[in-house]
Amino acid sequence: MVKKYLLLFLPLVLFLLLTFFLVKGLFSEARYEVSTQVDRQLPEFSLPDVMDEDQLYTRQVFENQVTLINVWGTWCVTCAIELPFLTSLREQGVRIVGLYFEQDLDPDFGGKSLQQIRTDIRQTLNQLGNPYQFNIFDVNRDYSMDLGVTGAPETFLVDMHGRVLLHHVGDLNERVWQDKFLALYQQAMLEQKNG
Amino acid sequence: MIAELGQLSLILAMMASMCLGFYPIVGAIRGEPRLLIMAKPMAFAMFAFTLLAYMALTHAFVTDDFTIKYVANHSNSLLPVYYKYTAVWGGHEGSFLLWMLMLSGWTCAVAIFSRGVPLIMVARVLGVLGAIALGFYLFLILASNPFESLLPYFPVDGRDLNPLLQDIGMIIHPPMLYMGYVGFSVAFAFAIAALMAGRLDSTWARWARPWALAAWGFLTLGITLGSWWAYYELGWGGWWFWDPVENASFMPWLAGTALIHSLAVTEKRKVFKAWTVLLAISAFSLSLLGTFLVRSGIIVSVHSFASDPERGLFILGLLVLVIGCSLALFAMRSSMLKSNSRYQLVSREMMLIGNNVFLTAATIVVLLGTLLPLVHKELGLGSISVGEPFFNQMFTWLIVPFVVLLAMGPMSRWKRQAIGDLKSQLLWAVLLGLVMTALLLTSFERFSMLAVLGTFLVFVIVLTTIQEILLRTNQQINWRNLRKLSRSHWGMVLGHLGFAVTLLGITLTSNFSEEREVRLNIGDSVELQNYQFTFKQVRHIEGPNYSADGGVVTVIRNGEFVTELLAEKRFYPVQRNVMTEAGIDSNLLRDLFVALGDEFTDGSWGLRVYVKPFVLWIWLGAAIMALGALLSIMDKRYRLVCVSKATQAKNIENRQIAGTGADFG
Repeated sequence: MVKKYLLLFLPLVLFLLLTFFLVKGLFSEARYEVSTQVDRQLPEFSLPDVMDEDQLYTRQVFENQVTLINVWGTWCVTCAIELPFLTSLREQGVRIVGLYFEQDLDPDFGGKSLQQIRTDIRQTLNQLGNPYQFNIFDVNRDYSMDLGVTGAPETFLVDMHGRVLLHHVGDLNERVWQDKFLALYQQAMLEQKNG
Repeated sequence: MIAELGQLSLILAMMASMCLGFYPIVGAIRGEPRLLIMAKPMAFAMFAFTLLAYMALTHAFVTDDFTIKYVANHSNSLLPVYYKYTAVWGGHEGSFLLWMLMLSGWTCAVAIFSRGVPLIMVARVLGVLGAIALGFYLFLILASNPFESLLPYFPVDGRDLNPLLQDIGMIIHPPMLYMGYVGFSVAFAFAIAALMAGRLDSTWARWARPWALAAWGFLTLGITLGSWWAYYELGWGGWWFWDPVENASFMPWLAGTALIHSLAVTEKRKVFKAWTVLLAISAFSLSLLGTFLVRSGIIVSVHSFASDPERGLFILGLLVLVIGCSLALFAMRSSMLKSNSRYQLVSREMMLIGNNVFLTAATIVVLLGTLLPLVHKELGLGSISVGEPFFNQMFTWLIVPFVVLLAMGPMSRWKRQAIGDLKSQLLWAVLLGLVMTALLLTSFERFSMLAVLGTFLVFVIVLTTIQEILLRTNQQINWRNLRKLSRSHWGMVLGHLGFAVTLLGITLTSNFSEEREVRLNIGDSVELQNYQFTFKQVRHIEGPNYSADGGVVTVIRNGEFVTELLAEKRFYPVQRNVMTEAGIDSNLLRDLFVALGDEFTDGSWGLRVYVKPFVLWIWLGAAIMALGALLSIMDKRYRLVCVSKATQAKNIENRQIAGTGADFG
């Protein structure tokens, strides 16, 4: 009789055991971070310029200067809306680097030709203003993945040591800049000035 | 405004579920009919308000209401309208709302179609469903509200749908899968209600059986659609990837398959009662677990892009509450169960329990394969991945004894079967099966042991199924005898034949497919399995909303023209998407499949060419299985159960006799 009882409780015991692992798994690190935790170094990379595949960039381009990294694409509507504001920031002396993200459905078969992407970029930037020092091309879209980008636009504030201070999802406008970015940006600039 | 109405409807639906989960159950305990009759109206209210909420959210998507956070995050003004309708369930919050819509829909269906079941039982079942729904409504409203507002600052335009999800296949099969997942809640509720009543006779099995069959049918279709879509649209030529999300849907299917068989035994022979209850609990629990795995992002896969531990914790809490309580109830109550009939070692009962053992083993294999990487990592043993070879090997081992039981089970008698009586039938099936296998496989150039085994098993299933029909019609197959067999009997026959068809497709495709990636100039050709593929030209095509390069490939076999395939690479300027549209020539014997790749600088093109024998049979078989489920649901005895009074039953029967001609609906 006792044996029968034990048998009947077995499913419950097994399930509770499973739950233990599920709870633990829930709080452990996923393979892809959902969001690069703030205060973390940017991951290493080596990616080409979107306009010139021979020009390679590494993490070093973010050292010694406070930078905004803006994830964008010509296909993205909201990105087009924030371009004029970003351009005005550049005019105020903010260093902005683009991380170009092509929404390409079939990586195996290569989507748009590079030529076409470049024509689109030139056209968009001529029309709406060019805030970027240069554009890094996230060829396989894996660097965006490492950064925890879930779509475009997204903007990262990076300090002179290449650390992420802020990760903003959505468009950057006057209000967001004032409320979210400005204080941190000024602090980072102060640090840069002092050395 | 409409969004606020949606929010309000959601809260009202939650309140309806609260009443539904409380009063009828109290009424059942105290025996107060006043409380019992509340069950049905509350079930209707719950469904109606959920539907309203869902419609409000759809309205917000279609009218680009970006003041709603969920819409702003998952849509944008340039999204084509059909994507807007489907974007409703493109994210976490919306897909849960869809889930709830289906749960309340099934609840409503139980309230409508259960006239024959005693009121107290219906009230308990609806009460259990209401209680489950309450948990998920709370989750929806507290932790994952689709109507959360961004006012006063809202964006000019929405962010795009997650690029990984902006894809028709990711969009189309969730509703089907959910329909199946959630459908098992009904069988679950019947089992729990029976446990609560403490009266686990076979009647609950009879009531629960059509619901379990319906859920199983939907799940079968959902999985099939997903697999079929992956094959036709992704252009990889594969049809099953043992991806965690596919596994999450496959586990409830396996448990559900065991359940529909076990329910049959419990209904007819009043045995395995505890086991059947446990299966009903398992099938729904695995559905919940699947939802959790997919939606919490605990297992990394392309499907689960965004994860949020707090939401995950909430769902996990619900999971523990629902599954934990029901398993505890099971452990306490089912010890009282006693089987009141006897059967011998060789009997239909034993064969069915054997089939259950193998299906359960298969479920555990998939569960282990899916969760082992997680457990392994959490034990600090590092990351491992469990891939296709593991699953393929395990399933190859499991399928042999499974098919042996499947072949013998339907022919055997309840209680006791003398093995000698089936000797001639089995001998015939084995001998004829071997001959047919040999005949079929000589048409392929290669030899493969696994193909021989798989094909042989298929023929054994088909031949024994025919033998079984012969047995039931006293060896005289004629129209009158065949009509005497019940619909649920035909349902079983179709289910088994469908399984054989799928198995044949899987066996032949896995063993005899050929694929090649080639680089061809215009005029070049490549040969696969006697099919000569010649790359004729690339022409420019202007579609309604896209422009495309279309590669024209003609196929010639033994000097005879077979077909001309057009493999397109489409560019959609509005979405700036490139989609490959493979050229496929499909018939029952083989698929010819050509996908166009990149153009190289020297003017040649990359092409992928496949010849896949019998691949269509995989989905054809699944469709036949689902049809079998439909036939079983339509069996007369469930409809008679639907009506409580004998007179009404008679009326219905008369009507049936009068209208048998048009009785398929």
